Amino acid sequence: MLKLQEVKKTYRIGPTEVDILKGVNLHVRKGELISIMGQSGCGKSTLMNIIGLLDRPTSGSYKLNGSEIVYADDDALSEIRNRSIGFIFQQYFLLSRLTAVENVELPMVYRRGDHGGIREQSMELLRRVGMDGQASHRPSELSGGQQQRIAIARALIGKPSLILADEPTGALDTTVGREIMELFKALNADEGITLVIITHDPVIANQCKRVSLMRDGVIAE
Amino acid sequence: MQEGLSYEGRGDCRVIIRANIKEALKSLMSAKQRTLLALIGIVIGIGSVIAMVSVGHIVQVESLRQFKEMGTDLISIEKDDGSDSSSPGIGGARATKSSIKLADVLGMTAGCSAITVVAPSVNVSGQASYGGKNIPNSRLMGVTESFRDINKLRISQGRFISDLDAQSQFCVIGSNVATAIRKQGCGNIIGEKLKVGEKVYTIVGVTENVPESGMRNFSPNDALCVHISTALRSSKGSGISNIIARVSAGTTNNIAREQVMAYFKSKNSTLSLKVSSPEEIIAQMEKQMRMITLLMGAVGSISLIVGGVGVMNVMLVSVSERRREIGIRRALGAKRGDISGQFLIESVILSMMGGTLGILLGVGASYLVSLFAHWNFLFSFKAILLGVGVSNVVGIFSGYYPARQASMLDPIVALKSD
Repeated sequence: MLKLQEVKKTYRIGPTEVDILKGVNLHVRKGELISIMGQSGCGKSTLMNIIGLLDRPTSGSYKLNGSEIVYADDDALSEIRNRSIGFIFQQYFLLSRLTAVENVELPMVYRRGDHGGIREQSMELLRRVGMDGQASHRPSELSGGQQQRIAIARALIGKPSLILADEPTGALDTTVGREIMELFKALNADEGITLVIITHDPVIANQCKRVSLMRDGVIAE
Repeated sequence: MQEGLSYEGRGDCRVIIRANIKEALKSLMSAKQRTLLALIGIVIGIGSVIAMVSVGHIVQVESLRQFKEMGTDLISIEKDDGSDSSSPGIGGARATKSSIKLADVLGMTAGCSAITVVAPSVNVSGQASYGGKNIPNSRLMGVTESFRDINKLRISQGRFISDLDAQSQFCVIGSNVATAIRKQGCGNIIGEKLKVGEKVYTIVGVTENVPESGMRNFSPNDALCVHISTALRSSKGSGISNIIARVSAGTTNNIAREQVMAYFKSKNSTLSLKVSSPEEIIAQMEKQMRMITLLMGAVGSISLIVGGVGVMNVMLVSVSERRREIGIRRALGAKRGDISGQFLIESVILSMMGGTLGILLGVGASYLVSLFAHWNFLFSFKAILLGVGVSNVVGIFSGYYPARQASMLDPIVALKSD
């Protein structure tokens, strides 16, 4: 469902060109729970941005759900992000002015077409992540773990084919981090959701079915 | 999956717009102080534009009403006091030497075929007093019987000055003078005595209150009218100051003016006269109005520009403060258009708030102006539409650039900023 072939990314910093990704090959099948692990600076964030269509590769091919991604049309990229990818970030990235349930609903605001029963779906997802009691709370009133659970509900609302988590437990303590990982595993096992987790933490990475090690701009194994 | 993407729902933007309006209100409310400061320029700008349009409209209707009331078949004749003369000394000397003679004025109806009625008047200096107390603003005038009809005065008590009152010490007072006398506890005004300087006048009538008019250079409500011969005798030298003449039906004011000029030239060649007709006065008023309109228009436009810059500044700050939010929204699938729409709506709402306050300010200001100028206040719907329209345009113009900046932000850069 996700296939990267010889993906390269070069940044120009002043007069020098820096190769961040030096030909990444990655194949993720539907229903996989995979972690991409590596030290900071190895290019895993850049890879995540490319998989999430937030950044474009300098060269190489990216197929998502069998279609080659075309980078010329920015609106089409937004549409794919909205429909096919759910994001989970290290710093949760909830909007502070919105309540928990409004944050969960946000991706659906940007989806044209079917809009029936969004509030019910959002509440259902908040129940799923154990946050239905805090639906009308604002992010500032919640702990980090609670905020991350809401972010997970937000990633699920659009029924994406892929969930992309960038250091999802990086800002949480070990116990809460373990709880979040349990939630990921349950989502993967019960609902067959494809999850790509990017982390530097071997403890997190080893809980996944598959671990890809990234080193110096390439996937080593 | 990609070919299965639906674009058919593009028209369904109500959800986004509703969400954007809600967001914009929240964002503006969360920075109240900044919002209010940004609004001041817009409020003043819209306010002065509204006041300008509204006052202009009121003045137009008002001057039309005044002339309709007086009639447009009147011309006003005044002695040219020499202020136009290149040599003021000579002009001044001439002005005192020659004056309009009463006999010549009364002969005008016979001498000029275009004139049917004449009403000369004399202003006499000195304030009237009753029971030892001065009556403020009062003004002694010498008039003839025809003065009443030409100025459309109505008698509320007693009678008006008649041509048989020549040399008598009878006077007719305006409504304001009557009110001043009544305040001193006088029940029946008729027969009471007023003092002007050393002379004592007996009141024989009171005129009804009349609204102010552009054709008159005095207020009948503050007048003490005596017969013109009485006034000329007591005023020592100040001759006839003003003549209002009615032009006969079927002739134009210009023909009447020429006849009047020729008539007085034949009587007294040293006399120079100024004849003005309602058209001229209207034209003069319109010229003044254009000046005022231009001035207020300039003030309005400048403050609108300042206001627009203020709105733009607030929006730019808002965009740079919310870069991360923009990044999050972009990651969740917001298109560039969704982001720019959000900020544009915020900017329009901001200007519309200013516009609404400005409309209130402008309508309030024009109400006060018409209150102090004794005009009938008119609520101008056109001005409201203009205010709403202008504030919308300001909102769109000053929101466009910040909104575009927001929409062009790179999602990754936006997400990384704090």
